[in-house]
Amino acid sequence: MQKARPVSHRRRILAGLAIAALVGAALIQAGLVASRAAERRATAERLGIVRAQALAQTLDRAGTTGDAAREVVRLWSASDPSIRSIRVIAFSGIMLEASTASGDAGGRAAPRRLEREEKPLYDQGQRLRAAHETNVQEGADRKAEIEIADRTDGALEVAAPLEASGEITGMAAVTAARPPTPGPAPVPLDALLGVALPIALFYAAGRLLGERRRALFVTAVLLVSASLGWLGFRAAGSLADARRDSETAVDAATQAELARAASVLGDPALAAALAAAPPAPIAPADVDVNVYRRPYGGGAPGSAEALARLGRDVGEIRRAVRRVTAGILAIALLLLAFIGLGGAARSVATLRRHRVAYTYVLPAMIGMLVLVFFPFIYGVALSFTDATLFNTDKSIPEIWIGLKNYGEILGDFAIVKHTAGGTVVNYLNFYWTFFNTVLWTVLNVTIGVTVGLFLALILNTRGLRLRPVYRVLLILPWATPNYITALIWRGMFHQQFGVVNQVIQIFGGHPLAWFDRWATSFATALATNGWLSFPFMMVVSLGALQSIPSDLYEASRMDGASRWQQFRSITLPSLQPALIPAIILSVIWTFNMFNIIYLVTMGDPGSSTEILITQSYKYAFERYRYGYAAAYSTVIFMILLVYGYWQNRVTRATEGIA
Amino acid sequence: MRPNRLSAFARFAALAAAILLALPTSPARAQKELVLWHAYRGEEKAALEEVVARYNAENASKGIKVTTLAVPYDAFADRITAAVPRGKGPDLFIYAQDRLGGWIEAGNTIDPIDFYLDPPTKDRFLKTTLDAMTYQGNVYGLPLNFKVITMIYNKKLVSKPPTTTTELVAAAKRLTAAKAGRFGLAYSYSDFYYHAILMNAFGGGVFDAQRKPTLNSPANVRSFQLLMKWLDTDRILPAEPSTALITSLFNEGKAAIVFSGPWFLGEVSKTVDYGLAPLPSVVEAGGAPMRPWMTVEGVYIAAPSKNKDAAYDFAKFLTDLPAAKTLALRGRQTPSNLKVYDDAQVKADPTLQAFRKQVEVAIPMPNLAEMTLVWSPATTAMNVIVKKAATVPAALNEAQSKVAAGIARLRGGK
Repeated sequence: MQKARPVSHRRRILAGLAIAALVGAALIQAGLVASRAAERRATAERLGIVRAQALAQTLDRAGTTGDAAREVVRLWSASDPSIRSIRVIAFSGIMLEASTASGDAGGRAAPRRLEREEKPLYDQGQRLRAAHETNVQEGADRKAEIEIADRTDGALEVAAPLEASGEITGMAAVTAARPPTPGPAPVPLDALLGVALPIALFYAAGRLLGERRRALFVTAVLLVSASLGWLGFRAAGSLADARRDSETAVDAATQAELARAASVLGDPALAAALAAAPPAPIAPADVDVNVYRRPYGGGAPGSAEALARLGRDVGEIRRAVRRVTAGILAIALLLLAFIGLGGAARSVATLRRHRVAYTYVLPAMIGMLVLVFFPFIYGVALSFTDATLFNTDKSIPEIWIGLKNYGEILGDFAIVKHTAGGTVVNYLNFYWTFFNTVLWTVLNVTIGVTVGLFLALILNTRGLRLRPVYRVLLILPWATPNYITALIWRGMFHQQFGVVNQVIQIFGGHPLAWFDRWATSFATALATNGWLSFPFMMVVSLGALQSIPSDLYEASRMDGASRWQQFRSITLPSLQPALIPAIILSVIWTFNMFNIIYLVTMGDPGSSTEILITQSYKYAFERYRYGYAAAYSTVIFMILLVYGYWQNRVTRATEGIA
Repeated sequence: MRPNRLSAFARFAALAAAILLALPTSPARAQKELVLWHAYRGEEKAALEEVVARYNAENASKGIKVTTLAVPYDAFADRITAAVPRGKGPDLFIYAQDRLGGWIEAGNTIDPIDFYLDPPTKDRFLKTTLDAMTYQGNVYGLPLNFKVITMIYNKKLVSKPPTTTTELVAAAKRLTAAKAGRFGLAYSYSDFYYHAILMNAFGGGVFDAQRKPTLNSPANVRSFQLLMKWLDTDRILPAEPSTALITSLFNEGKAAIVFSGPWFLGEVSKTVDYGLAPLPSVVEAGGAPMRPWMTVEGVYIAAPSKNKDAAYDFAKFLTDLPAAKTLALRGRQTPSNLKVYDDAQVKADPTLQAFRKQVEVAIPMPNLAEMTLVWSPATTAMNVIVKKAATVPAALNEAQSKVAAGIARLRGGK
């Protein structure tokens, strides 16, 4: 056999370092490019809003309809060459009040009724109005009152609502060229340096250190950390500069637009419209607003307030970059360790050796990934958000709230409440529901095993006639779809007409309102599930009973053992290998037995008989709190995971016995 | 083996190429197809299909064809929620207004139609049915049919239907023999939807104009107190009134008067001679009529539809007089187009006329997304009140605070 060539630690770590530095620098560079693009986009949008709001405010003052509106639009469009078109609509009469769009000339010139293909424009205006009313009613900023859209020709269209005497009556849509973007991105010199320098330095250090693995690895870690840290620092600086530039640009634009507004409002052509009342001045806070038409809250440009806000923004950027850099560094160091310490080489070797096996497993792996792991990971990610019906359009990072849902679920220990009327259990509390679920599971499995085993022993009587008939009859409850069984049982427990209460009455008892108290309501669900679960246990036990060799019993009879002794010493131990897996399975089924609780007790009274799985369903689909429900489900998963781990150990123990 | 396999592959490749080449040459379909999803069955479905066939015949020259797809009711709303925003849904669909708010909030599901809606089309409908289709000031669909609760009575037991609650209680007391399982009045009073009859009579409700919950308003409290009087003092109602129980009581002649909607009529046995009359007025509320919640099935245009103009044209056709007549007479539905009730044949139909009369005072059930947060606390409060586990104001205050908290969490965001 040929002896393997000893591996060179120096070469391996150098490869790891090169890849780690390359990946790290590339990620930081990509993040920087994306962030700068986002900043540019945000600036363009802010500038667009300033422009549209300045026009909208001017129209609000001069008049949102009629000749005055058309005059404002004409003057405005003439004074700003970057504007491609302005369209003003009024809801009343579905009118196009003014337009400088090239198609709206001649026979189509404003004012005219909007045409069918212009429905989206009208709908947009109505959407802005509805958004404003929603925000006012809810006292929150939930829906955008200004809409920004990209046009295919590279222009930006900003639509802002128009107000007349406190109500939104129309909309102005301004299409303008985007502000010029800086030329092609410069060669990422920093990133190149951040890769080349550590490689060169490590190469040099390697000559000094030779094949000393630990020293080499520590050097590589230090070099990668230093290089990525420096790149992060540079990126933060670059982004902070971009932020400052953006602020300056918006300030300048605000001043320019206010000046334009003043000059338009002062134009003699509008003197007639404004003769009655001189318009209130437009403030910077009226035009430099976010999409909810709220001022950014920075005071006048150049003021101490504005500077303080800018300072806060820059600090925020630096912190964010630091967090991201730390994350990237962690990935890079993991890569370095994986490659440099030989993990990668070993993985490749395994993959290569078991090539065929991995190929066979691949389709199943992909299936699992798509059908199991992706939804699971998505669910877990959702559990860290505040997703509700009302914010389904937002991405996960936007509604990220960290562990708040878990805190709310697990941190609420107010299980009982003391009120004037006595002690009240808060049935929505997680721990109550958990207690209820555990009780539900334990009692059900106990009932199932006891009844099932008992019936199996009877059926196993030697020489029993008509055994197959009994067996079929006893399996029937299992064969019926369980939601049908559940609905039948619910009917049987009806207070006036249910068969259970009628039987009670025959024996002179008082009819019970079964679903009015926790204990009785719980008992109805228990009875239903007991009915459903014993056949399974019976079948399992019967199978195992029939496989016990009869000579064991004969031998014990010879020795004078009683029936009970036979059961204790022969039957039970022989059943164990079959029963324990069945019990484990049945615990998991019962823990998540949705149908019975949902259909029989419906959680009555007042959610007290809810189990975890039905509670989480109600959070998602009755209260529309998707994030909270996802967290609830994740907690259920964790509980079952712990149970599964424990059960694994128990199974191993029983395997030892068997 | 090898050449054989090769030639098989070659043949397959040639076939595939031929199909690919043939595809663009197949005649391009000039037809515009509109897909309509609905959840109707039986005669309702037959009536709808008849109207659609008529529309297709009339518009064949324009190249427009409407196809219908009946989706099971249980799966309907979820399928709309899942399919439409992703552009996989129909061009139009028919559903009650209760999910409207949720779909609008979720976005890209339903488009408003104010733009198309001209005054003559608006005037077809009772204003309240159009209100049911309105969300935040925009109309989102054309009302097709409505459903309301009315009074259904056994003619053998009740000769003259009561017109006030005083008459109702008097008649019901006379006809009640709880020991024998006979009741003068039976309805799902512990179902919040049915209780709205009384709540609305007192001027109560679930939301105010600002979309704030008002479950514990004084009007609502009084409505529950009236219910408790019927249940406790007058003892004219059965316990635990499930729909199955009410149906069987009515069919066995053990319930004289029932408050229920058109869905109940299909369950009534042939042997029972029943009549319909408007719900009585409530003396305790100053003689105001009982006002049921109306459910309005609207025709909505899916936001991702490519043929919205044609879709609206069809929706207009579907709610026009001839279509409404078919829906009423063939489908036994109650169209929202009021002109149909002046038609001679429809006029002669006492059932349709009874619902027509009842809808005058009906109030559209809220179409807000927040409404789903109301059901559970309201039902809990109803159960607590009916079972006398708490006083009416206490139970309603509890429900109000739960609903308010739920809404705050839902709207809150970050």
